Amino acid sequence: MSNPPNPPKWANRFLIWFCSEELLEEIQGDLYEAFYFRSKQKGLRFARRKFILDVLQFFKPYAFEKYSRAKQFLPMFKNYFKIAVRNILHRKSFTTINLLGLTIGVTAIMLISIYLNHENTYDLSIPDSDRIYRLMNNYRDQTYTPMFFEDYYQSEQATQMKLINYLESQEEVEVACHFVTSHSSIGSNDKYYIKVENQQFEAGDVLFTNTGNRFQSVFPQEILSGDPNSMFEGYNKIILTDKLAKKWFGNDWQNETLIGQQMIIQEEIFEFSGVIAKQVDNIHFDFDWIILQDRIPSWAAYTYFKTNENQLANTVVSRLNQEINTIYPGHTDDVLQKGIIHIALTDIHFTEDTLYELKPIANKSYLLSFGIIGLVILLIILTNYTNLSVAMYADRQKELAMRRVLGARPLDISLQLLIEAVLLSMICLPICGLVIWLVLPFFSELMAIQLDQSLLFQLNTISLLFGLLVLTGILSGLYPALVYGRRSLLKLFGSKNSSKVTQKHFNFTNTVLTIQFVMVIGLLSITFFIYQQMEYVKNKDLGYEKEGVIFFGVNGLEKYNLLKEELLTLSEIEAVGTNVIPGMEMYNQLTYKMKDTEEVFSDGTMIEMNLGTIETLKLKCPACDQLRAGKANVFVINKTAAQKLAKVKGVKEEELIGEVIIAEPEWENEEHGNGYPKLIGGIVEDFDYFSLKYESQPLLIDINREAQWAFVMLVRANTNNWSSTIAKIRKAYTGIEKDLPFDMSFLDDHLNQLYTNESRAGILMGLLSLVVIILALVGLIGVVSYIAYNRQKEIGIRKVLGASVMDILINFNKEFLVLIGIATLLALPASTYLAYQWLENFAFRIDPQWWVVPIAGAFASVLVIVLVSARVRNAAFKHPIEVLKAE
Amino acid sequence: MKGLGFLEETILLLVIIMDGDAYGYSISEAYQEHTGKSITLSAIHAVLSRLEKKGLVNSFMGGATSERGGRRKRIFKATAEGVAIINDIRDGRQKLWDLMPDL
Repeated sequence: MSNPPNPPKWANRFLIWFCSEELLEEIQGDLYEAFYFRSKQKGLRFARRKFILDVLQFFKPYAFEKYSRAKQFLPMFKNYFKIAVRNILHRKSFTTINLLGLTIGVTAIMLISIYLNHENTYDLSIPDSDRIYRLMNNYRDQTYTPMFFEDYYQSEQATQMKLINYLESQEEVEVACHFVTSHSSIGSNDKYYIKVENQQFEAGDVLFTNTGNRFQSVFPQEILSGDPNSMFEGYNKIILTDKLAKKWFGNDWQNETLIGQQMIIQEEIFEFSGVIAKQVDNIHFDFDWIILQDRIPSWAAYTYFKTNENQLANTVVSRLNQEINTIYPGHTDDVLQKGIIHIALTDIHFTEDTLYELKPIANKSYLLSFGIIGLVILLIILTNYTNLSVAMYADRQKELAMRRVLGARPLDISLQLLIEAVLLSMICLPICGLVIWLVLPFFSELMAIQLDQSLLFQLNTISLLFGLLVLTGILSGLYPALVYGRRSLLKLFGSKNSSKVTQKHFNFTNTVLTIQFVMVIGLLSITFFIYQQMEYVKNKDLGYEKEGVIFFGVNGLEKYNLLKEELLTLSEIEAVGTNVIPGMEMYNQLTYKMKDTEEVFSDGTMIEMNLGTIETLKLKCPACDQLRAGKANVFVINKTAAQKLAKVKGVKEEELIGEVIIAEPEWENEEHGNGYPKLIGGIVEDFDYFSLKYESQPLLIDINREAQWAFVMLVRANTNNWSSTIAKIRKAYTGIEKDLPFDMSFLDDHLNQLYTNESRAGILMGLLSLVVIILALVGLIGVVSYIAYNRQKEIGIRKVLGASVMDILINFNKEFLVLIGIATLLALPASTYLAYQWLENFAFRIDPQWWVVPIAGAFASVLVIVLVSARVRNAAFKHPIEVLKAE
Repeated sequence: MKGLGFLEETILLLVIIMDGDAYGYSISEAYQEHTGKSITLSAIHAVLSRLEKKGLVNSFMGGATSERGGRRKRIFKATAEGVAIINDIRDGRQKLWDLMPDL
């Protein structure tokens, strides 16, 4: 007999699963009957399809009425919830520890991800950021981020506009613009006085452009006040950001009729044309106000273009390279020009080794390591939380057993535990939110980024925080939920079998603990290495004396000389000099060679200074005695240059004195034929003109007895009261300079700023290792409590057999100290390797000492001993009878 | 309690008409036959359970057939209250129909 056709099995099974038992028979019967007749009348396929549809249509609350799961689940859920709350309140210390660990960990992860998000979304807020490119110039062996003007400083407006006009004539290009910011390497770095009616304000950080409208279409600014159609149009206009508007005119600047007012800067009249919102922080350039001028006051400008949709920038730039001579006649005659390249806007923040970048770029390896540390913290939180809940349930086994006896299914127990875990992590939500809200301002100051507290109320921040906590709750609740849910009643009641489970769990825990200890020890060591390197950098003998020197801008030689004369009458002023501020990022390099040799070097740096500079910086320069004796000029090279050249020439270094160097030998000129010949008048010891990130560079130094030109003044003072000295200098300055505000810096501050990225990374590392330490300790508390509970009887028996409290403590500590030992061994290669990697950033660096790692290990041991002893003490002091009577 | 939806009314009527042979599948067939419209089984079941809750029908488990794979039917019968409410509805309607002018 052939089987009658059957409806689809899975649908049937699904029906059985969801349908309440009471209704099942009739419903199933009706469905079968319908299936039977349909398959007869309209065929099997139709009947099966209908059957499935019908089953799905029965999937409604109605079908699971009475004994339905949903109705059963909801009251149970209430019950789970109630019990969870009671437990959380009951176990205050566990709850506190758990919440503490969770809050710290989650906050750290949140801050890291906020920071990473800030860095990784650089320039992405600019509309159509994928169609905007910047032109850059390869010159000699270096890449310049701004494009040079044809006549450099002397360029007229029409000349400055040549490149922009060319770009805009290309069909692929929608719009092009260029600008310079005053605080960039090619800007003046000056502050300006701005006179408005009777008031006078002071401001730096200005953006100059003569392509206002185009700037606005490439980098649209949010206009708060002013006519959007005309405010960027034309020249001699000033646009303020709301930051500056608030500072000058108060918070109610909007009530004042400012638009159209005259503003006077250095006797030139500007019209105030509008207010824009200050840009967000993660854009690769920054400014407080804009000056629209017919000429950009620099020798180059940062040049951008935006392509039309679906057009390639490549074609524009390769055509530009072919046609460059039609824009700048004779451009390619300069053999040092190595072609124009372009960079996508969104790559700017991550591109290393370019000159004159507007903002410090992101260090990818820092971002990567922060990200990895964030992930590790997440792992630690998960395992900690698991450990703690496992420990917490260890002495709740009887409670769970009673529940089972009273009819709870394994699923109910699992759900109960899971809900407790999620509930606890949800309690963290407001706490974490509050902590992040409080910490965010400090964090953004530390990382030197602008993060607004309102960030916290953004959807993605909230959902990240929420997701993180739910994930933590579920993942860490899963392990105890599965373990205790499935455990048989017998095991729950009796503790005989639990030792086996303990052993198994303990091994898992051991691994987790060891990983945590590796992290603690590794991070501590690396933090120490970073600290050591930063101290080294601060205290290294630079070859000059950085203390007691200030510098500030001066406008020209005439004012410099007047000021110099006046300052030197002050008793505390020891020396003044010009133009050289050591501690530079690398800048443009020139080529040089020895006369009568072939090999040309391209790594030279030319410095011009005067005798005053030598004295201000206390540079060691024997040849400078010639200047003191009355010679007007002497040319010296430093030891690094001397070594290179001596090798080529095959002579000793000191024999180079009196020989001739040719600077820029490619440059043909009528006077000298090729390049500039320079007679070597002496050799100076190497001094660290650049950041210590770089090797000593070959320096070619032209020293005049008297300053020939001046834009920066250096002053060395011997004083204990800097504020009065600076006040005197300021007075002298303002007496001579009416147009530009006095804006001074200390040389040693300036030098420290070179390493802000690194020291920031160091501080962050330190904070993160603190977080990891706390988390590790929290995790340890859970583990120790668990073990102490499980081994109560062992402790009791040991005591009966004569062990002292001390013996027991030692016994417990021993196990953890072994783990720390292993962790130290693992951390040793890892942390020294990473430290070496980091130190690669510096040409001058410390040698990471291996013994730092064991010391960190010892430190961790002390913490662990204190904690373990404190935790086990209770168990060890308990009277043996109390624990042994239990069965 | 006494409000009846259109579908409830129709199905209650069918239950009364089918007198002792009304269960999920047969009602759906009868519904289709008399109204010409198709209806899903789940809708019939939902309506029947609503009617039962309102006390207009009651039910008992009836005989099994081989088409049902040996499963019993739940047979529905109208209660006195159910019959009364149907009469009420009809009377109410009739009054309105009596007022209807000839068209």
